[in-house]
Amino acid sequence: MNAIQVENITKTFPGKRSPAVKEISLALEKGKILTILGPSGCGKTTILRLIAGFEKPDRGRIILAGKAVADDTVWVPPEKRGVGMVFQDYALFPHLNVYHNIGFGYRGKDRKERIAEVLELVKLSGFENREPHELSGGQRQRVALARALARRPVLVMLDEPFNSLDAELRGRMRLEIARIIKESGTTAVFVSHDQKDALAISDQVMVIRDGLSQQCGSPQEVYRFPENSFVANFVGQSNIMSGVIGEDGRSVETGLGVIPCEHLHDCRPGEKVEVSIRPDSLELDERGPLLGRITCLVYTGESYEARVDFVGEGGDRMSLLAHVHPERTVKLGDMVRMKLLPEFVAVLGCRPATCQVPRSAGTGRGAAD
Amino acid sequence: MIRPVSSLKRGWAVLWRDNPPGAALLFSAGLTALACAVPAFYVLERSLSAGRGRWQGLLDTRIPQLLGNTLTLAAAVTLIASVLGVGLAWLVRKSDLPGRRAWQWLLALPLVIPPYVGAVAYIIILGPRGWAREIFGERVFDIFSFWGVVFVLTMFTYPYVFLICGAALKSINRNFEDVARSQGLGTAEIFWKVNLPFMRPALGAAAILVSLYVLSDFGAVAMLRYSTFTTAIYYRIDGYDNVSAAILSVALLALTLIVLGIEVRARGRRRYHQTSEVFLPPRPVKLGRWKLPALALVLAVFACSLLAPAGVLVYWASLGIARGALAGEFWRFSANSVGVAALAALAAMLLALPVVYLRSRHPSVVSGLIEKLSVSGYALPGVVIALGLIFFFSRYLPMLYGTFALLPAAYVVRFLPQAIQTGGASLNLVSPRMDEVAKSLGCSPGKVMFKVIVPLVTPGLLTGGALVFVSSLKELPATLLLRPPGFDTLSVRIWVEAGEALYHLAAPAALLIIVLSIPPLKWLLARR
Repeated sequence: MNAIQVENITKTFPGKRSPAVKEISLALEKGKILTILGPSGCGKTTILRLIAGFEKPDRGRIILAGKAVADDTVWVPPEKRGVGMVFQDYALFPHLNVYHNIGFGYRGKDRKERIAEVLELVKLSGFENREPHELSGGQRQRVALARALARRPVLVMLDEPFNSLDAELRGRMRLEIARIIKESGTTAVFVSHDQKDALAISDQVMVIRDGLSQQCGSPQEVYRFPENSFVANFVGQSNIMSGVIGEDGRSVETGLGVIPCEHLHDCRPGEKVEVSIRPDSLELDERGPLLGRITCLVYTGESYEARVDFVGEGGDRMSLLAHVHPERTVKLGDMVRMKLLPEFVAVLGCRPATCQVPRSAGTGRGAAD
Repeated sequence: MIRPVSSLKRGWAVLWRDNPPGAALLFSAGLTALACAVPAFYVLERSLSAGRGRWQGLLDTRIPQLLGNTLTLAAAVTLIASVLGVGLAWLVRKSDLPGRRAWQWLLALPLVIPPYVGAVAYIIILGPRGWAREIFGERVFDIFSFWGVVFVLTMFTYPYVFLICGAALKSINRNFEDVARSQGLGTAEIFWKVNLPFMRPALGAAAILVSLYVLSDFGAVAMLRYSTFTTAIYYRIDGYDNVSAAILSVALLALTLIVLGIEVRARGRRRYHQTSEVFLPPRPVKLGRWKLPALALVLAVFACSLLAPAGVLVYWASLGIARGALAGEFWRFSANSVGVAALAALAAMLLALPVVYLRSRHPSVVSGLIEKLSVSGYALPGVVIALGLIFFFSRYLPMLYGTFALLPAAYVVRFLPQAIQTGGASLNLVSPRMDEVAKSLGCSPGKVMFKVIVPLVTPGLLTGGALVFVSSLKELPATLLLRPPGFDTLSVRIWVEAGEALYHLAAPAALLIIVLSIPPLKWLLARR
């Protein structure tokens, strides 16, 4: 059974013309982690607030652990939904210490034991009597998570949880939070604008833009086979080129020649398409078929980000971004030979993107009726 | 198919931007707003039922005369207090005046002296049988005159301008002045072209505050036997001519509304923003040969507004205490004062919470209106509130009419805005995420209020309660009009005994009020 299932929810805020969230559907199995990924203002936090019950959808249905909590006739207020929240600013109650913060909503008889248990889980045993202002950023975040987990929620949702942490701590907390959630067996929904967060911790990633779902899938799927140019550019860097599907149905003809391609998005031979070429798929190779000149070079430490101008078969110039291994010595203006690795070349979807609810998810009665 | 019930529901949801409040919250806040609207409403209603003849009679003679008196007084006090307040603020914030830090405090201190107490002190000094006459053998300055009233009111209202404009001056980034200086402007030019324009919104707000105060003041004006709307209304009520009082009150309210209208227009027009995040503390201007005259000015203002009145009160209080002024009677008045003021403070804290919570967490036209009505009392003069409550209670709650219950009621209407302001300020510091987290942890809206909001805003509410307490303690006109016979408070005794020139009895009560007013002032200063 899905822990959370959302069917075609739409929300327009009063006084706004366009909806903040449009026909969003998603489903998540128990124990999995989903990240809703998108630029700021894309509606991802609104989805979170709709699921938590802080906003009411105009249309559509939300089902938590098999029970409808919001649709045309049903409305369950947030306090009765059993959804744990971790906000960006953590929202720890400043008038309560760690112990009472975590136990705030817990009403079972085993309150003391349960608090000790979740403190153990987030590795903060012994911090019971600390006040929130005496904790570091990472500790505060773990207390907020422990508080959300204490009631054994159906679902825990985290809104940009790593935003206020510095880069080094961010990386560590990412893994730590993912460990805690997996260990507790909880289902989790993250909201993030950072693709690294999303790729690192999620079982599922949903990319959102302007309130519309762009793509839904595993991190690998989303990175390797982006549905459209927005996803290709937002999740990592990419070069977008136009081309035509080859006769063999396994390659694309572009200005750079015929590129072998693994994922064709069900496009038929002869169809005009756009192709996403990740910078990682261009590799220096003295026997490579592509010859180009480096026109821009940025050293990032992990690699060189090089912009290479190629002259295509038709004589038109093409400028592509390539990642060059930092041990190679390259200079601005160098002529270089490169080859294309097919693993990170993908044909973008030639039809509008849809986000499929898995088959097991139920009938999918939407708002359209 | 259109279903009327559901479209009504939809309309309600849209009105509250999909976030309608619970019934208990809306009901308690709405009731508070209605209660605060009662005095103004009944005064208006009574004046409209007065009939053409009464209106005509007053409009022909009395109202023009009062209008002239009140407006000239308000204009003179506002102008002088503004010039004095801005000048002192500039000296203290921008120049190298000796002892600047101490003066920031000392020059604000006259706020703790209620103007009617100041008036008593100046009657003692400058009155017909005052000290000045004993020393100089003749009357130096007639305190019972227009300029006497202007002097007393200015001395006790300039600190508003001083504080508000001082805060504005302090926040001006030094870069602007440095740029002006690099363009070749001198200190005077910088004041006119940089400092003053920046200060204008603050100065406007402060000037409005002073004018509103002058419009509503009763004690000082009455003690100095000047005649304005408030005193005229007071003596009409005292003479049981409530209908004429209602007509005069409406005229005064109209005047108040005009002043407030000016403020709204002025505030809407311009806003200044600091352009840079980097903030440099001001570099003091060297006063040079102006140092001594500046110091003399500051000293003179301090002497007139604080030292002289405080000195007089301490002198007479010591005489009074030696003659047994602190007998049982005194403590009975004090207990009455403290009792009704504490009741008012408690009620204001309890009533402010739903109003600020509704406004902050459920923004809508309705909650905005509720808040506006609830804070309308700050523009209502005490005499008008008293008159409105007399109408209301004598008609609808006659069993309470003539009891002391009317006093806290009047204080709450008048001073609830102070509790709403401080309570609202402290609620604004509590992120709405706190409410949402509590809800996600299973708390009903009522539980959120008591487990999260109340503990977090209690400090702000207590501060508001303290301000209401002190304001109620000082309140004079409504207390005089609404107290049951024989129920005397400190402010009533000051009025009665000063009226009979029994200064040794009035002074201890006045000193007690002043001492009790100091802690809230400290809070106000700390915030600026």
